[in-house]
Amino acid sequence: MAVNTHILILPFNHLISMICGGIMTWVGCIFLMKKVRSVDSPYSEEERDWRIPVIDSQSAGDSPFHRWDPRIKLCALVAFMFCVASLTQIFWAVAALTTALGAVVVARIPFHNPLRRVAAIGTFLGMFLAVMPLTAVEKAGDTLIAFEGVDWIHFNLRGFYLALLICMKAIAIALLAEPLLSTAPFSVTIQALARLKAPSILCQMLLLSHRYIFVFQDEAGRMLKGMRARGFQKQTNMETLRTIGNFLGMLLVRSFERTQRVFDAMIARGYTGTWPNDIAFRAVTGDWIKGVFWVALGGAMWISDRWMVPPF
Amino acid sequence: MHISDGVLPIAISLGGYAAGLAVAVWSAKKTRPEDLPKMAVVTSAFFVASLIHVPIGPTSVHLLIPGLVGILLGNGAFLSIALGIALQSLLFQFGGLTVIGANAIMMGIPALISGWVFRALSGRTHSNRVFAGALSGGLGIVLAVLILALFLMTGGEDFWGVVKIAMYAHLPVLAIETAISGIVVSFLGRVKPELLDSAFY
Repeated sequence: MAVNTHILILPFNHLISMICGGIMTWVGCIFLMKKVRSVDSPYSEEERDWRIPVIDSQSAGDSPFHRWDPRIKLCALVAFMFCVASLTQIFWAVAALTTALGAVVVARIPFHNPLRRVAAIGTFLGMFLAVMPLTAVEKAGDTLIAFEGVDWIHFNLRGFYLALLICMKAIAIALLAEPLLSTAPFSVTIQALARLKAPSILCQMLLLSHRYIFVFQDEAGRMLKGMRARGFQKQTNMETLRTIGNFLGMLLVRSFERTQRVFDAMIARGYTGTWPNDIAFRAVTGDWIKGVFWVALGGAMWISDRWMVPPF
Repeated sequence: MHISDGVLPIAISLGGYAAGLAVAVWSAKKTRPEDLPKMAVVTSAFFVASLIHVPIGPTSVHLLIPGLVGILLGNGAFLSIALGIALQSLLFQFGGLTVIGANAIMMGIPALISGWVFRALSGRTHSNRVFAGALSGGLGIVLAVLILALFLMTGGEDFWGVVKIAMYAHLPVLAIETAISGIVVSFLGRVKPELLDSAFY
């Protein structure tokens, strides 16, 4: 153990209550996510939810984010996200999280959309929260918490703060993805990306693959239904692996044949590798003001984070 | 496993974007126009694979299939994976917008290498191919986990504990991916062998 670390010894029952608290939070989160997922879900409890979220479900709404020129929106919000990702102090991470929540509210997005995003990164972040306090390297000035009777476990507060910081930054950026992506039709967002000089093959393939995901998913759903009807149940054995492997192979063969037919039909109708490009983007002063606002906000947070001691 | 936002140092995630974009453009140059439908299919497969869960005892893991993507697409695999990763983070928040580059490298480079290994090893006989497929599938996971570890370690020694846990957590994934890749290659070899052959020309 390094010198100059503070050790706080807490009674043993604090450890018990901390573990209980952790488990209860975990169970609470799982319960909450079940609730969020079960909103208009056609699937029963035991079945895995196969639905793929519609990325631009809110594109018909109206808000400052909807009215914003997608090109400037993309640049400004992505710049802001990178500023958030570079933060190093809890205080400014909380500020970023609050800003992101505000943006979701302003964009009038129903809360279960961003919640689903947070749930997707939950396991990865949970691993950090659970592991980092116990494994962070003990440095001079760290505060360690130990418990009576089990003093070989050191709970490093610095590691905990680091994990907390990562979680808050990740959640803030995940929340911001909603105002960024769901406030315009996906094809418009990709078109904006193309206008920003992104390689055209990337944009084409993003659109094509996005279409095929849903085709693929339908096909997979049909095949799974058939497998279940014939009595297939997933278990930990070689038979399950073989079935899933053949399922995946069959899915590839079927989708490939269908896609080949569609592609031939597209070429027969004159597809040359580009889509008709008729969306006119027009940036007015208001679009630029919003853009400058977000970039300035991100920049201010980044500068404050580096050179200002937070108020607490 | 995908890296989420806010974990990597900012220089690494920006560098990941630059490197990922460069390799993706190279990969696109290596793709023939007539292979685009196949790429769209494999990209969707890569995307949907993350929804297919395989049970292991009381828990379950989902498929990753970087090796299989490499086997099916050859040099185009990196572009396909980059697109799949981008779509996963746009739609699901698997990973995140600021780390698309890093995640694409983590899965895409192993896919490229697995593809090359498959081409080098797979011979004419069926069992030979299945063996090469299984090996490439396993190799894809090993390399992906190593790159994940390297990325996380750029955060400093505080991250080493997490790296260790992540590596152990991928052991069952390694076993399952090896088996599944072998089985899929065996299936395709019997049903539609041209899918396995057309990746390299």
